[in-house]
Amino acid sequence: MTLTTRNIHARIGKKEILHGIDFTARAGEITAIVGPNGSGKSTLLKAITDEVDFTGEVILNGRNTAKMKPWELAAMRGVLPQSTTLAFPFTVIEVVRMGLMAGASGERADIPSRALAAVGLDGYSGRFYQELSGGEQQRAQLARVLCQVWHPVVDGAPRWLLLDEPVASLDIGHQLLVMRLMKDYASRGGGVVAVMHDLNLSAMFADQMAIIMSGTLLTSGPPDTVIQNDILSKAYGCSLTVNTAPEEGQSFLLPHLAMHN
Amino acid sequence: MIADTTVPQDRRRTARRAHVWLTALLVLISIASLAIGASGTSLWGALQKLVSGQPLSQTEQVVLWDIRMPRMILGICVGASLAVSGAVMQGLFRNPLADPGIVGVSAGASLGAITAIVLSGLLPLAAMAWLGFWLVPLAAFLGGWGSTILLYRVSTRRGRTSVATMLLAGIALGALAGALSGILVYMADDAQLRDLTFWGLGSLAGATWAKVLVAGPVIVLSILVAASLGHGLNGLAFGEATASHMGIPVQRIKNAAILAVAAATGAAVAVSGGIGFIGIVVPHLLRLSTGPDHQPLLLNAALLGASLLLIADVISRVIIAPAELPIGIVTAVLGAPVFLWILLRRRGLVDL
Ligand SMILES: Nc1ncnc2c1ncn2[C@@H]1O[C@H](COP(=O)(O)OP(=O)(O)OP(=O)(O)O)[C@@H](O)[C@H]1O
Ligand SMILES: [Mg+2]
Repeated sequence: MTLTTRNIHARIGKKEILHGIDFTARAGEITAIVGPNGSGKSTLLKAITDEVDFTGEVILNGRNTAKMKPWELAAMRGVLPQSTTLAFPFTVIEVVRMGLMAGASGERADIPSRALAAVGLDGYSGRFYQELSGGEQQRAQLARVLCQVWHPVVDGAPRWLLLDEPVASLDIGHQLLVMRLMKDYASRGGGVVAVMHDLNLSAMFADQMAIIMSGTLLTSGPPDTVIQNDILSKAYGCSLTVNTAPEEGQSFLLPHLAMHN
Repeated sequence: MIADTTVPQDRRRTARRAHVWLTALLVLISIASLAIGASGTSLWGALQKLVSGQPLSQTEQVVLWDIRMPRMILGICVGASLAVSGAVMQGLFRNPLADPGIVGVSAGASLGAITAIVLSGLLPLAAMAWLGFWLVPLAAFLGGWGSTILLYRVSTRRGRTSVATMLLAGIALGALAGALSGILVYMADDAQLRDLTFWGLGSLAGATWAKVLVAGPVIVLSILVAASLGHGLNGLAFGEATASHMGIPVQRIKNAAILAVAAATGAAVAVSGGIGFIGIVVPHLLRLSTGPDHQPLLLNAALLGASLLLIADVISRVIIAPAELPIGIVTAVLGAPVFLWILLRRRGLVDL
């Protein structure tokens, strides 16, 4: 089962932001979307979730999403936006519980508190959401999204987490916690698509990486085929050294101090 | 160190318990509203007579059945509709300051009502006969509907509502509607002016069974529609995009919310003129005590709004008895300070 886009051209206002993107993510894997600021990563995620006008097709588990009802979609995929505002003084557990109401198949009432624990927020249920720190808010929203698609597979079909910068405002400990959580979700059969800025974390956890540059898909593939000096310097316009961690054999990046000429 | 604010218990239970308390409160106040009045007629005396099978005196019948009873029912309807419209608008605009009175929706509804009163002479007689009593509420509904849609279009961009734009657009809308109403008043003949003045008093004093029959069903229906929106409005608190990701049919919820607000406000304005602040004070108090979850909030708002309006009505009847203060004055004196208090406590609300 896959999440596939076919020839996506997306526009915001009159400006075309994405110029024909064919992208595929497989269930059971983490797919990281990377690329420079303003390259169109969020817009791609928004096209996939029908938040911006686009032409082309989005196929989720073999079905064209344009033909699916909001609640059918909600039962199949949870979406974490890059930032979320909340209008009223809801408590953390009330926020997370809102994920449940979307979840279709009579899921259990203890899921919200388990989702909170999963993102490291146990003990926060009665706190006001608006009074949390930025990273805590981001994790509370992630718990809400998790709650919506708690079981990675339902009736043999994978469910999907579509996350826009899920670890951007987190400290390194919580970054690892959230990345492990995504890995676990994928290993139990769900699909995870995450927009990322941290290439090292992406290389460490993602099964597939896709680089977006100026609204097109520059390249995609397993991390070691994407984490290449020439590709990255083309995408980011700065020079990096690709190294291998001595013990774990992973690729990691060191930016050069000197500016790229 | 300041302790973190936490809500220890499950607020859903508190909110559900509030249904019971608020219903009890409404029943008590309804009885008080029947019992208290300028004439010396006693509800208890009349009840005793009814129980013992004696006939009621003419005065008792007129005062209790033809004056106080429709007034009480209309008060319940109007209070409930104002509070629920307020709660729904606040959910729709994602802001606790949205209220039909403040953002110009009531002014739009008034314009509709005034237009109907002044220009109804231009309608073919057949249409007049067919619409009859419904003409003014219908026009008020259309006025309220138009202004809500306009307001939403102006102040919401890509699913985010700018509060500053909303409040300023509301001022502009209110001023425009007021100016147009002024022109219409200028055009009105003497008989129409009498109608207008009578209507514009903004009170429940003119309550009749006919008004109850016209406004009641509209208000009950729109409150029922509004009460079914709780789930959707909760989702909208996260913004339109996230609401739709949670499976909420956003467009349908928005349309239903706008229609319900317009119908409830239109009907309330048509029968009672402009009564302010109920729509802002009631939901705010409820959010403070039982939380912002719209599912219980909407029903609780209807109950508390009805009770508060009846209390205001009783005050307006007894405070300078035998004369009557327009109820709008009472709700403004009680409500405006609460509004200011909300602003003071949460100044951030209107920051750009
Ligand atoms: N609301 C908008 N109106 C106009 N242009 C927009 C809007 N949102 C995004 N854009 C433009 O679309 C392009 C892609 O934006 P997008 O948000 O997809 O970038 P991104 O890759 O997610 O960047 P970042 O890493 O900063 O989150 C940018 O050039 C941006 O200026
Ligand atoms: Mg982005």
